[in-house]
Amino acid sequence: MSDLTRRTALATALSLPAVTRSPALAQPPPAERPLFGAKTWHLANGLRVVLAENHRAPVVAHYVFYGAGSGEDPHALSGIAHFMEHMMFKGSGNVPSGAFSRLVAREGGQDNAFTSRDTTAYFQHVESSRLALMMRMEADRMAGPAFNPDEFEAERNVVLEERRQVVESQPRSLFRESFDAAMWGRQHWRGRPIIGWPEEIRAISRQDMLDFFAARYAPANAVLLLAGDVTEARARELAEATYGLVPARPHTGRDRATLPPAPTQERLEVREPATREAVFTRAIAAPSMTWGEKRHAHPLEILAHILGGGTGSRLHRALVQGGLAVSASAGYDGETAGASIFSLSATLRAPTTREALEAAVMAEVAKLLDAGVTEAETARAIRQQTAGALLALDGIGAAPRMLGGTLTLGLPIEEAEYWPARLRAVTTAQVNEAARAVLPNTLATTGWLLPA
Amino acid sequence: MIPNATSLADLPPRAPFAIPITIIREAGITAWLVEDQSVPVVSINWAWPGGSAFDPEGFEGEMAMAAAMLTEGAGDMDNIAFADAARDAGVSVSFGVGRDSSSGSLRALKEALPEALRLARLAMSEPRLEASALDRLRARAIVGARQALETPRGIASRAFWAASYPGHPAGRSASPESFAAIPAASLVDALTRQFRREGLWLAAAGAITEAELRATIRELFGTLPRGTPPALPWLPPLAQFGRLVVEKAAPQSAVQFGQDGPLPTDPMWEATQVALRVLGGGGFSSRLMRLIREERGLTYGISAGMDVLFGRGIVVGQASTDNRNAGEMLALLQQSWAAMANDGPTDEELSEAVDFLNGSLPLSFSDSRRIAGGLLSLMQNNRTPEWLAGRPARLSALTRADVAAAARRFGRSPLSVVVAGQPIGL
Repeated sequence: MSDLTRRTALATALSLPAVTRSPALAQPPPAERPLFGAKTWHLANGLRVVLAENHRAPVVAHYVFYGAGSGEDPHALSGIAHFMEHMMFKGSGNVPSGAFSRLVAREGGQDNAFTSRDTTAYFQHVESSRLALMMRMEADRMAGPAFNPDEFEAERNVVLEERRQVVESQPRSLFRESFDAAMWGRQHWRGRPIIGWPEEIRAISRQDMLDFFAARYAPANAVLLLAGDVTEARARELAEATYGLVPARPHTGRDRATLPPAPTQERLEVREPATREAVFTRAIAAPSMTWGEKRHAHPLEILAHILGGGTGSRLHRALVQGGLAVSASAGYDGETAGASIFSLSATLRAPTTREALEAAVMAEVAKLLDAGVTEAETARAIRQQTAGALLALDGIGAAPRMLGGTLTLGLPIEEAEYWPARLRAVTTAQVNEAARAVLPNTLATTGWLLPA
Repeated sequence: MIPNATSLADLPPRAPFAIPITIIREAGITAWLVEDQSVPVVSINWAWPGGSAFDPEGFEGEMAMAAAMLTEGAGDMDNIAFADAARDAGVSVSFGVGRDSSSGSLRALKEALPEALRLARLAMSEPRLEASALDRLRARAIVGARQALETPRGIASRAFWAASYPGHPAGRSASPESFAAIPAASLVDALTRQFRREGLWLAAAGAITEAELRATIRELFGTLPRGTPPALPWLPPLAQFGRLVVEKAAPQSAVQFGQDGPLPTDPMWEATQVALRVLGGGGFSSRLMRLIREERGLTYGISAGMDVLFGRGIVVGQASTDNRNAGEMLALLQQSWAAMANDGPTDEELSEAVDFLNGSLPLSFSDSRRIAGGLLSLMQNNRTPEWLAGRPARLSALTRADVAAAARRFGRSPLSVVVAGQPIGL
């Protein structure tokens, strides 16, 4: 389980951004070539197919993204999207339980899946001659998984163990979960953990899962992505012969429209015996590329870099270089379904007091709102954000992850193919306008994780 | 439903695996190169033996802190100017320290390679080691060490190494106290001891020619002190300490276990790898995953594999489970371990494991970073390109008896096990 967006796809696919290119802010962005040059078409059942051909190595990445994640979990059934991802490995019409991963391994491949708030994706990386087998098996579970009842309870326990491992044993993860709930509410789609509340994971029935599958896993709500050593003709032939056999079905679309008028709690302080360090965090509701004032999305990415994007950012200079914090950052991801957040965080450095650290963070925000960012800061942020774009070509996983993440939000493929140009087009005035529109938003929560 | 969903009938035979490795020798350094101009990206990885092996007792983390200081300002650049230069050019230059080696790596678009080389060279040969940067880095390291002990997993790891190699640097881990104690003056000595003109391994992959790599090697290392780092101390076999429980308030127990393994030169090395793939390899198909996760739901993940430390093979694994189930999970682990030691794999398990290990070779070499990293690991284990080329044939030739013979080693000594948490019934 992990959150996979363009940003995080890059972070996992690459070590750092790259490319030397001077930003030409006063000029129109240069004519750009698409990053991957992917081709795309639809099957008759509505399934979208995307191909990023690349014959560098005899390997291929095969991904299916569904346009449903934990944000689609029904009321009081948080965790169902993720639990279902696990159960999708427990057999389907013509694939016995456990056979999927076993066959992938036997053919030398790697397979896994992940659930984010916005999407659930299944993937295999294999030698290209093994692609047909992968597509048959994946299409078989798109047609109808078994959710083998004999394995349901054991897998529920696996999910609960996963929760203990990645959330309950880690004070900072546990705090993050409480923080989201404090801001949005325990049952709001943004306030629930992706893995689910434990009592709700325990309540999910097999029928609930069948209903969720029926509502969300239709071919027309999915994207098939192939990247690597496969020709278009072969991709078309295989897609027709496998996924083309899955009947079209109606599906339920996302509903991310509603936002609480105010945070459930404006402040959250958690004292945790296992914690050794005090951590400050503040999140502010923000527009995204799919919701609200969408034009602020790209400028907010630039703003996050200027304010807290690593060494040399404003928060780094004021807090880390200034000796108040051991780390400080700002974050924003515009590629989400529904509202996003702009976040600020810092880890206290002794002997600074909490009050002094929080005041210093908020002073930086006030300064930014008052005087705005400079042309030089915008140019630096654009340069550093886009420099890594072409490194995504080195490896077969980046293309399907980036394209799949974009397309399952209903965004055009150009948003992923031309994202460096889109960022380069951002102006200083747009960054300042976005900052003034978003940072003062009152749908915001401040939190402290404190040693007991 | 998709007809013949699991049928293998129409799959062509796999193409034989081959990767063209060029070996060059330049300025006393042997380097492996896989040139591929199809994508404009270059990855270069290098390493010296050493790492934290020479950290003085009580000053654990010295080499790690010294290496981290390399990218905190070099030449005429302070820490911010250095970071900006790297990010403006879109290159990554990083240094890492393990228990027995220190490493460097860079990755860049071809057009940015000169800048990456300049930054990497300056970092290694002209680090500024400023007091203010050290002060910030030390504060961050102390917090990092404290946070590592917040989780049962972090506690288990620390206790496992300490119990496995008592009195040896391999058993010591950095702590908040040791980071606080490291004198600034010792960093220069640590760097001078480690970052030498010779005695390193280097692998490069991507859009770089042989001539360019030769020039790169001269530029990167030509200004470092002559000679090689000191030889690593001998490592004793992993201690047999039975079972150690470390109390940690948490809902889950983290388990780390291990055993001495074969030397990398042992003729049974690959048979042992196959046995471990069957028993606890990655993915969902191993015996441990099927028995403990898939059938009983006792864990999110359990795995075991082989590593090389100070030139010795070691077998290490990990898992976690609800405190109430720790006893049951450990019993199942011990049973599976003993069963493999006694009986080895089945014919079907053997062929599946060999198919996986052979079939996954192309995936291990599918981009420049994986190739450079993979080649460096082979070099560190004294392998040759011929060893890699011959691996599929050697694996395919393994019989059930070969692997069973290798697996008997698992029964020769008991597993050493650390449990961190509040396990019930141990």
